[in-house]
Amino acid sequence: MVKINQNYKIKMEKITKSFGDFLALDDVTFNLDHGEVHALLGENGAGKSSLMNVLSGIYAPDHGAISIDGKVVKINGPSDARFLGIGMVHQHFRLVKSFNALDNIALTINQTSYYSEKDNLRHKILKKMDEIGFDLDLDSPVGLLSVAEQQRVEILKVLIAGASIIILDEPTAVLTDEESKGLFKIIRFLASSGTSVVLVTHKLKEAKEFSDKISVLRNGKLVDTIIPGKLDDEALIKLIVGEVFAEKPQLSKNFGEEKIVISDLNLHRSNHAIGLTDINFKIREGEIYGIAGVGGNGQAELSTVLMGLTKLNSGSIKLAGYGDITKFRTDQRRKCGLVFIPADRQKYALAGELSVADNYAVAAILRGDLGSWMGVKKLGKQLSTVEAIEEFDIYGVQRLNQNAALLSGGNAQKLVIAREFSSKPSVVIAHSPSRGLDIKAAAFVHRQLLAARDAGAAVLLLSEDLDEIMLLSDTIGVINRGRITAEFASPADRQIIGKAMVN
Amino acid sequence: MSSTSNINKRKGVKLEVRDPMSFTNKFIVLILSIFTGLFISFVILILSGVSGSALWKEFVVYIITSEKNLSSVLIQASPFVVAGLAAAVAFRARFWNIGIEGQMIFGTIAATYIAINDVGPEPTRLLLMFIAAGFGGVFWILLPAFLKIKLDVNEIISTLLMNYIAFNFLLHLLYGSWRDPSTGFPNSEQYDVSEILPLLGWQSLNFSSVIAVFLVIIIFWLFMSSRFGFVLNVLHASSNMARYMGIRVSLVILIVTIVSGFLSGICGFLVSSGIESRMTQSFFIGFGFSGILISFLARDNPIGILVVSLLFATLVIGGQSLQVFYQIPFAMVQLMQAIIVMCVAASEFFIRYRLIFSL
Amino acid sequence: MDFLIFWLSNVPGFATPFALGVLGMIICERSGVLNLGAEGFVLVGAMSGAGVLISVGDLPLFALVIAGLSGSLFGLLFGFLVTILRVNQVIAGLIMVFLAQGLTSLLSRNMDWVNKPFEGLSKLNTGIFSEIPIIGPIIFQQDLLVYCTLLFYLVAFYFIYRTSIGLRLRAVGENPEAVDAAGGDVILLRLLAVIIGTFFLGLAGGYFTVVVSKIWVDGISGGRGWIIIALVIFARWQLSRALLGAVIFGCIEALIPRLAAIGFQLPQYFVLMMPYAITLLVMVWSNLNPKNITAAPSSLGRPFLREERN
Repeated sequence: MVKINQNYKIKMEKITKSFGDFLALDDVTFNLDHGEVHALLGENGAGKSSLMNVLSGIYAPDHGAISIDGKVVKINGPSDARFLGIGMVHQHFRLVKSFNALDNIALTINQTSYYSEKDNLRHKILKKMDEIGFDLDLDSPVGLLSVAEQQRVEILKVLIAGASIIILDEPTAVLTDEESKGLFKIIRFLASSGTSVVLVTHKLKEAKEFSDKISVLRNGKLVDTIIPGKLDDEALIKLIVGEVFAEKPQLSKNFGEEKIVISDLNLHRSNHAIGLTDINFKIREGEIYGIAGVGGNGQAELSTVLMGLTKLNSGSIKLAGYGDITKFRTDQRRKCGLVFIPADRQKYALAGELSVADNYAVAAILRGDLGSWMGVKKLGKQLSTVEAIEEFDIYGVQRLNQNAALLSGGNAQKLVIAREFSSKPSVVIAHSPSRGLDIKAAAFVHRQLLAARDAGAAVLLLSEDLDEIMLLSDTIGVINRGRITAEFASPADRQIIGKAMVN
Repeated sequence: MSSTSNINKRKGVKLEVRDPMSFTNKFIVLILSIFTGLFISFVILILSGVSGSALWKEFVVYIITSEKNLSSVLIQASPFVVAGLAAAVAFRARFWNIGIEGQMIFGTIAATYIAINDVGPEPTRLLLMFIAAGFGGVFWILLPAFLKIKLDVNEIISTLLMNYIAFNFLLHLLYGSWRDPSTGFPNSEQYDVSEILPLLGWQSLNFSSVIAVFLVIIIFWLFMSSRFGFVLNVLHASSNMARYMGIRVSLVILIVTIVSGFLSGICGFLVSSGIESRMTQSFFIGFGFSGILISFLARDNPIGILVVSLLFATLVIGGQSLQVFYQIPFAMVQLMQAIIVMCVAASEFFIRYRLIFSL
Repeated sequence: MDFLIFWLSNVPGFATPFALGVLGMIICERSGVLNLGAEGFVLVGAMSGAGVLISVGDLPLFALVIAGLSGSLFGLLFGFLVTILRVNQVIAGLIMVFLAQGLTSLLSRNMDWVNKPFEGLSKLNTGIFSEIPIIGPIIFQQDLLVYCTLLFYLVAFYFIYRTSIGLRLRAVGENPEAVDAAGGDVILLRLLAVIIGTFFLGLAGGYFTVVVSKIWVDGISGGRGWIIIALVIFARWQLSRALLGAVIFGCIEALIPRLAAIGFQLPQYFVLMMPYAITLLVMVWSNLNPKNITAAPSSLGRPFLREERN
């Protein structure tokens, strides 16, 4: 289907990379043309990032060859890749937060003298910015810049270093629709001036709209390379996941009493970081209240304040049956039936070096369900974990005392949900519960949230993924710079919500 | 195909994260690294002029064959065990108690106060001293614990600074009002018979061994079975998850430091009442350091602490003979402990990573 | 007035070892390596300096260089443990202290260096300048290392804030992945920082024996390595504040022996306690301001490994 071109910019042939028993890349052959935008599509764990990490010298492949402009090259580390003109913009930016943009860029290029060449470098950067239409403050610490601006710093780093091949790893994951459009304008401009761009993404829409070619990876194998527009969505999805899959949940029909009422929450944070300002909303029994917003606009603060993990400055939280719980500690709130699925499950919801059984049973043991203070019932712990593993379909548990760190993202999240739902919760707070999960695991998480709702719980769903919010929520609030700026009843208009997120 | 397939393989050495090792393999690595440490130490000793056969005799033969030496090892091991427990308990909550020696000093000061002022009737004297020693130790850890909980002051530095303050306070007492009136030496007067831990009837073995074993059992139960022990495991593995699950981390740290301080105070009591029969100005030296290393080697396991303490006590008893017969400074014992621990710490690298050589 | 001049003229001598030590710590920790072994490096430097003067001859400057180099040599072991073997940095630091205590004690006794007084480094003869009233004794009656220390700070400032490698050093302590992606060698940078940093810690130790006590006994540093660590937190890992902290601490240490002179009677051992108690207060005061906690390099204590999955 794709025309044969012997003069590829890059040819990666028969690349294989394994981590222990796990085969991340299985005999992958990938070609990149001059001046093209080539999208790399696939689910999480399909091997997209691994392939690009091999190209940028971060991973050494077990087998395979790479050639650039027809010449076989060896890439023994990031510096070799840079020397060959390969630049990578990582999903998690490699920036020194306390440095300004200028110093971050200076770090990337090999200068003999840093201080005396600073002015030269500044001119060079300003010229480049002018050329591609960037706007950026070069002198404030990048930690204070917005995510979109930080991404510009990363792109400038790559361009100033003279890259002719640019890899963008999930560049729109943290951007608003508007910011993404701006980014793609620049990507097209770069491609038109001869730069080859690899766009690593799991978003079908942007791959179709903005790329010249699409390669699909699945389970470490390159499934096919196609020209966008030649396949319809359904066929493309089938390439990505191997089967067609669509979620169509029902909106809730029977709301109960008001379960949790949040009034005038205020949280001030130092250093102009986003806190919370005058937050008001309520959730009824059997309702999913979705909070949409760009990441970092107060979602983490709101969720931790509600769990009693962050002290708030003013406001009140009232829970039906318990009255004012504003002053309650986390353990007391959990006793009232609040449960929490935090966004960063590896960091906050699981202890990787504890066993699967410990991670599951911790909630029950702290509740006092498994034994007294004198002794924890070991057998009860094991048995209840076995039940949960079966009920929640958790794969990859060979032994109950195996470390939780060994679970994959989806199964780890299932474990978290199994634990949090092990006592019948009355309020569920879920922050980006399907982040980083593949389509099937995400659907499982969604079913669990819906089941909790139908069992009468009040569910607060905070998510940066607008599709997820639209799919599940009965009511949608929009959070922007620490305020709830709009509220909609489902079904609502996607465009209007999107606007509210950025205004 | 195979000739081109390796073209991208990196030359030299690279690291790869291993799948977790089985318990048995970890144990084998641990034993091997302890022996590596002993080997390096013995090489240093041989370079210092002690013959290999002398080392064999002093550290193995004389310890096993002489009842007197064996009982010395057991007596020496008791405070080591308790110091190791004190370090382990605190460390389960990620609190680095480097101030065991300062807490030993205040424990012993409290016990000695009971002893020299003859507080309470004679039959309960030892019990009173025991309790006083524990609370003396608690008293000395409360400030660092409080500063850690309220202000996040680094406890490694604060507990260590408290050691120096305690030491100077000890000297203040021993060169002042608590100086032994009968000899004029800067140590406390000798404890009465009712203030010394009673003998058990075999060699010079005394009640301190019973106390040490009793404490091992208590802490073993605490760590392995109790709900609080489970909480400690969670906190040790992830303080974030502990907080998110509703564990009151500050309260747990407070409890743990109190237990650790109490044990340190008891450790001081075991040395002064079980070995030296008075409060000297050097009774505590080396125990804080050894306690941390013992709990590190034993991976905070109380039974492991018992075993490692016996090893360390053997080193001390053997080291004492070397000091007498070969003029090897006693600091050699500390050096040996440090070398062993360094080897064990370094061995974790091989437990966690796999080295891959490609040429 | 005389009291004041006498007091202030003693300040540089007391402040210098702290200034040197904190400088070393900052270089080391700016690269992201948590160094709790300061006390050990100071001890090794102190013994080596004394050892050179006793066994080699009366060469105080040479002794100081050897003190620094032996600190570095010991630092090489530390650096190997933490950067290459990725040993927990807290454990590795403590091991260095314990190792140094044992090693210096053993070696100094084997070499017979204990309790042997020596000439050491005397004050620099600045001739006419030292006669200037007031500032003469305070500024011009000091030893050479006091002036060198100021020079070291200037060089370090230039090195850290003006050169490419300084830029990388600062970056590697904040975000090693950024440096790695930029083609820098994280391990090598950290190893270098440890070796240079421990040189200054060794030098600080050398100062204690070669310049101050002019004798070696076991554990002569008496916990000053720990005070140096506390001062780093006070200094927020910045050179200018480090110098300020060292001078303030020098003022306090110089004042303590003079307290009796102004009729301030305190039991001897309470006087000896004061530096530690004051350090504790400094730590409390430092932590009252949340800025100080966040001033630590972001990746301090975190080992770097590229080839890790996720």
